[in-house]
Amino acid sequence: MASTGRLIPLAAGDSVENMSIDQALLESTSQIQVPTLRFYRWSHPSLSLGYFQKFAARDSHAESMGIDWVRRSTGGGAIVHHHELTYSLFVPADRSLGHHRDLYAQVHGEVAASLRDFGVTAIPYRMLPRSLPASAAEPFLCFQRRTDEDLIVSGYKILGSAQRKVRDAVLQHGSLLLKSSPHAPQLPGIAELTSHLPSIQQLSEILANRLGHRFELDWQEDGLRDEELESARRIAVAKFGSTQWKCRR
Amino acid sequence: MTRDESKLLYAATHEWAAIEGEGGNRVATIGISGFAIEQLNDLVYMDLPEVGRSVAPGEEFGEVESVKAVSPMYSPVAGEVLEVHSELPDQLEKLNDDPFNFGWMIKVRLSSDEGIDQLMDHEAYQKQCAESQ
Repeated sequence: MASTGRLIPLAAGDSVENMSIDQALLESTSQIQVPTLRFYRWSHPSLSLGYFQKFAARDSHAESMGIDWVRRSTGGGAIVHHHELTYSLFVPADRSLGHHRDLYAQVHGEVAASLRDFGVTAIPYRMLPRSLPASAAEPFLCFQRRTDEDLIVSGYKILGSAQRKVRDAVLQHGSLLLKSSPHAPQLPGIAELTSHLPSIQQLSEILANRLGHRFELDWQEDGLRDEELESARRIAVAKFGSTQWKCRR
Repeated sequence: MTRDESKLLYAATHEWAAIEGEGGNRVATIGISGFAIEQLNDLVYMDLPEVGRSVAPGEEFGEVESVKAVSPMYSPVAGEVLEVHSELPDQLEKLNDDPFNFGWMIKVRLSSDEGIDQLMDHEAYQKQCAESQ
């Protein structure tokens, strides 16, 4: 029998808001132990630095210098969030959804299946011939790095995800690059690579259905609770919106 | 002296502790187990605390980033951080080879026994690892 999960429907927020809500939901998942899926967009183009990236590394990417930026709680490279669908999956630590290591493959597999409905073929990096050269070590941008489960279209990465673990829950969030941004012109999106541009709304609905089926979860659409909104506001001030946090490295 | 992993104490969250007397104090040397390092896979960054910081059992003392996840590390004991292995974050590749000796992370001067009775011996920890596979 399917268990119940929370589905926070697609909404747009700014960079601090988006990251603070993810952190607040991670903390509440840790307490209430209910799997939660959230979709969001970015109200204006923004750069997110990986948790351990150095602030000074921004200088190496001129095209994104003028835009809003935030430091994520998750690792990996920098992302220019512009024409993308972002998802966050919050998983209780009880492993009812399987081992956390497998979450990348499971979620990315369902994203690939959802994209096929729009005529787009995306393949995990691990399935590509290894003669394809991996990108240079540690490029600034996440979409120029490669790990096994990243989804690739025509040699370009279009989906990357990262995890943040706490004692009783895991957050996995990821960016699906739908269209190139003038703030990262070196990265083509699905639209440039395939001449298809999936509707973000439809894509989020199809992906939610597929993930519900995959994890045997019956999603209940839910808004953020008052205590989660309050927690997100506190986190925004203390962490993602604070210069000390942003420039900590 | 090489540390014998079968004589260490372990937290459910995979930190190990070697508790020894040092100049009239009891000091816990802390790291993370070989099992945890294997599970984390390809560590790339690590943050350790400042000397002088107080820690409590279950409190986060540092963070580690593997290729795809940032994970916290929790103190198994209560006390004050006396020493930090500051060379470790720049030599994480060595952690894989030697988690119990070169891989020590912090030394904590114990302020009480709090948390110690929650720790497992090697046999119980091995059992936990086998069950989580």
